Amino acid sequence: MTPSFMLLPVEKGIMRCRHTGPFSHEDVQALATFFSNYHGKLLIDLTGSTGEECAQNIKQFRPIMPTAAIFGTQIDLSILELPESYYLHFAHDVRYFETEDEALAWLRDQ
Amino acid sequence: MTATDNAIHAFVHETGGWVAAQLEACTRCGMCAEACHFYQATGNPEYAPVWKMELLRRAYEQRFTLVGGLKVSIGLDKRVTDADLSHWSDLNYHACTVCNKCSMVCPMGIDLGSLLHGMRAGLAAAEVIPADLMAAVEKQVKEGSPLGMTDSVWDERLEWVADEWEVEIPRDVKGADTMVVFSSIEVMKFPTNVAAIAKVLNKAGEKWTVSSKAREIVNFGFYQGSEENTKLFLNRVLEGAKELGVKRIVVTECGHAYDALRWHAANWITEANDFEVIHITGVLGELVGSGRIKLKPGFFNNDGTITFHDACKIQRKGGHVQEPRDILKVLAPDAFKEMTPNREESVCCGGGGGVIAVKAADPVRYAAFELKIDQVNAVGAKTVTMTCSNCRLQYTDSVEHFKLDWKVTGLAQMVADALME
Repeated sequence: MTPSFMLLPVEKGIMRCRHTGPFSHEDVQALATFFSNYHGKLLIDLTGSTGEECAQNIKQFRPIMPTAAIFGTQIDLSILELPESYYLHFAHDVRYFETEDEALAWLRDQ
Repeated sequence: MTATDNAIHAFVHETGGWVAAQLEACTRCGMCAEACHFYQATGNPEYAPVWKMELLRRAYEQRFTLVGGLKVSIGLDKRVTDADLSHWSDLNYHACTVCNKCSMVCPMGIDLGSLLHGMRAGLAAAEVIPADLMAAVEKQVKEGSPLGMTDSVWDERLEWVADEWEVEIPRDVKGADTMVVFSSIEVMKFPTNVAAIAKVLNKAGEKWTVSSKAREIVNFGFYQGSEENTKLFLNRVLEGAKELGVKRIVVTECGHAYDALRWHAANWITEANDFEVIHITGVLGELVGSGRIKLKPGFFNNDGTITFHDACKIQRKGGHVQEPRDILKVLAPDAFKEMTPNREESVCCGGGGGVIAVKAADPVRYAAFELKIDQVNAVGAKTVTMTCSNCRLQYTDSVEHFKLDWKVTGLAQMVADALME
């Protein structure tokens, strides 16, 4: 079965997480573990998928995501919102961009 | 009444015979200062626990003793002012985790932790609370959780965990033996821990449930020092337990919540005594010790050195000191090493008591964490495990802040990963 994502280095401190297929339970668990141990920045490449396909997982992963820039397909921006609370001190910025160049430029600035 | 009047009223109310005896017993030896991680980390003499409760002492002395009254009348002592309250609010909410280590070292046996809680009661009565801590309290009053874990967020998130981790999370099961109450920190930040606890309890054949009424174990009223709010949040848990008819309540990974429900609720609310209250650390120890779950020996032996962080309210106060060690001796007999000091003598992570919720406390919180860095590095550990999600949040945040190459995990997660089929 095709894995749902691939992790590839972009440059020092930035990894690309490329969505490649439907999420299996194992993939979701592996991503959760990766997010809890990874302290770098993430370029999330959703090219070739639909926003709906990833929406539920992005929404649930949002509180544990590292600093990330998403591009590649249109997503509902409300899934990136977090409830107002002191917990926001510990949440990282996650934003959507129209293009990979914009996403990468923003990530480099973080 | 002014804020100061309210605080003094609360301090005087707190100052019964027991407190008077405690305050009179202090010899100003300063040993409590040496035990305080904030004092150790910064050398700031104002962080000495005995000084943090100075307003309580002053209120007692001036109100109840002849000497205190005389000192004020001839100008040798001054009455508490609004500015004092604001300053002591910083000392108590920024640089005290109510970890109670000071009580352990006091040669006079003074229970400083309870007195410091009394200080918070006075500051809460005066409404001199850090704004972000108060916002969290208000959020818990209105939404049931300080982290924005509303009914729908809780519902969706548990469904997601159950689905993706392929684990049953029984909900609102009447007649279950055990009600498990997670902390919103786990649900929001450490969902793997929720899955792990569910997996372990299912494997053991436990008749357990979660309750949609009792869905938050964190108690920000307790951090605040407000008895009224503490009871409000405790009652939500107890009502959930009563409605489902369970015999025991398992507190998952929150130390202060365990303190509030295990000891304070039992003294304040009669119905609390209808239930056994136990921390998940005790449950894990019981399940492994009795053989109800079996672990793969040495499962974590090859992951580098692993150390265990003792949480103030779970290990020092709660007494769940041996269970994690017994479990780690099975999981990583060669890799597990104790940091020093440990067990009841352990140094707090620096984020408990609501300190982690106060942004202005970040510098002192990180300063206190540097003590943990030295202790963990001294044993060469690459993995730190623990049984408190609040400590875990402090660790994960600090690991990132200090760019440390450590893995931070939870004991329940390690147990779940090493379960024998």
